[in-house]
Amino acid sequence: MFMESIIATKHLTKRYKDLSAVNDVSFEVEKGELLAVLGKNGAGKSTTLLMLLGLVKPTSGNILILNKQPHERAVKERIGVMLQEVSVIDALSVKEVLLMFSSYYENPLRLEEVLEITGIPIEMLKKKAYKLSGGQKRRLNFALAIISNPQIIFLDEPTVGMDSTVRRKFWQAIQYLNDEGKTVIFTTHYLQEADDVAKRIMLFNQGKVIADGTPLQLKSHLSDGAISFKSDQVDISLLQTFSHVISAKITDQRIVLTTSSTDALLGELFEKKVVMRDIHLHRARLEDAFELLTVERGISE
Amino acid sequence: MQTKVEILRIFRNPYFVFWSLFMPIVFYFVFTNIFNTGMGDSWNSRFLMSVTCFSVMGTSILTLGIRLVEEKAHGWSNLMRTTPLSSSVYFSAKMVGQTMIHICSVAIIFVVGAVINGVNLSVWQWLTSALWILIGALPFLAIGTIIGAMNKVETAAGISNFFYMVLAFMGGLFMPIEVLPSIFKSIAKAIPSYHYGAGVWEITEGGTPSLLNIAVLAGYFLLFVVLSIYIRRKQEVVV
Repeated sequence: MFMESIIATKHLTKRYKDLSAVNDVSFEVEKGELLAVLGKNGAGKSTTLLMLLGLVKPTSGNILILNKQPHERAVKERIGVMLQEVSVIDALSVKEVLLMFSSYYENPLRLEEVLEITGIPIEMLKKKAYKLSGGQKRRLNFALAIISNPQIIFLDEPTVGMDSTVRRKFWQAIQYLNDEGKTVIFTTHYLQEADDVAKRIMLFNQGKVIADGTPLQLKSHLSDGAISFKSDQVDISLLQTFSHVISAKITDQRIVLTTSSTDALLGELFEKKVVMRDIHLHRARLEDAFELLTVERGISE
Repeated sequence: MQTKVEILRIFRNPYFVFWSLFMPIVFYFVFTNIFNTGMGDSWNSRFLMSVTCFSVMGTSILTLGIRLVEEKAHGWSNLMRTTPLSSSVYFSAKMVGQTMIHICSVAIIFVVGAVINGVNLSVWQWLTSALWILIGALPFLAIGTIIGAMNKVETAAGISNFFYMVLAFMGGLFMPIEVLPSIFKSIAKAIPSYHYGAGVWEITEGGTPSLLNIAVLAGYFLLFVVLSIYIRRKQEVVV
């Protein structure tokens, strides 16, 4: 099937004085994708997003959105944006803010549709925007992001400050919009969130994309977890040859083995009669994943 | 639409209502009635113009400046930049909104002056005074946009209040510079607020603003606009 590339970046680079925030990043996004841009703080994901939105000028490289430059009006007509830490305009009611925003666009969604998708109750419309609670503000920001009836929705760390119920409803709404054919790109630093929601994950580290694929593909790369234990008579280099060990190291007098399957590794350890005391199982954390991927890159280069 | 929203926002801002409407009226009332200096009608009408200038100057520097900073600090201006609304429309809506507010301030303060103190001027004088005050506000609006380029609300509020008070005091908007030591007089002649006031004082006395007043205000306007643009350019390079 022919797929339409609606975002394309080539050799995108952003340097702030000596600091290189984004370094030679090229990728494409096709219509209808639900893409998570994953990475630690400072990994370059937000800078990349801001460049896609035309808010930050790339040092070099180029970006095409819907085959146009990001700052063109035709692009802005067709995108919806939810940024971090936007507190909505003072002294206006929720309804006034929504109407003001919808007046900017040629084909905005109807107010009722926006309320339905975002779950904003009618009572909230009369409230002054600055009197909203944190969660309500995020919902209003979300509403502003979809009011343009956008083709592409950009969300920068959208779930920060949401409690678990709001978060769940939020992702349901995103799922719905994506099913409607809208392309959604969001940044997050929660591995779990990216895994649960996204159809594709792009992993950023130190300004570069170090992994890009479906959650499944990525997870086969990433560790599923780690096993740590104490032992007096184990050779680290021997452990590294085990088929289920991705990396082995000693931290705080414990041997830590990262693995793509803790179950399989345990089996292997018992089978090979490794003497272990005080065994702990660790769930995969994003930090581990990063560590792993950076280590792998270091070896391959 | 954008203009309407801007006006709504300013009017719902208690800070504005207090500093730009309530305070000048109180000042006016106190200065002309309680400290009755026996300077008579001309002082009354002259001081009415001073407080109006004071009010409009305040809205220009404080309301505009601090609002711009707030919008930036809260990420609002970034979000606006992702909408199809062009920044020139946004900016002119702000300016039109600001001017509408000025018209309201001027009208309210004039009415208070006419009703409470019986300030008596010809229709022509009222109109030209109002016009002078509205157009003469340009340099102060430009100061507002310079303040608006700052990054922190607190700094902007502090600095703009300081400038505002100094300009108002040194420009003789609180008391005539004639009663102050001569050093103040020479300072006053160099700053825009004095010429802002002086132009309208002339009108109340039946004259017309001097070319010098106009020239100084226009000069400051250009200076501040250039400065404001320069600062914004420089910031863009850093970002």
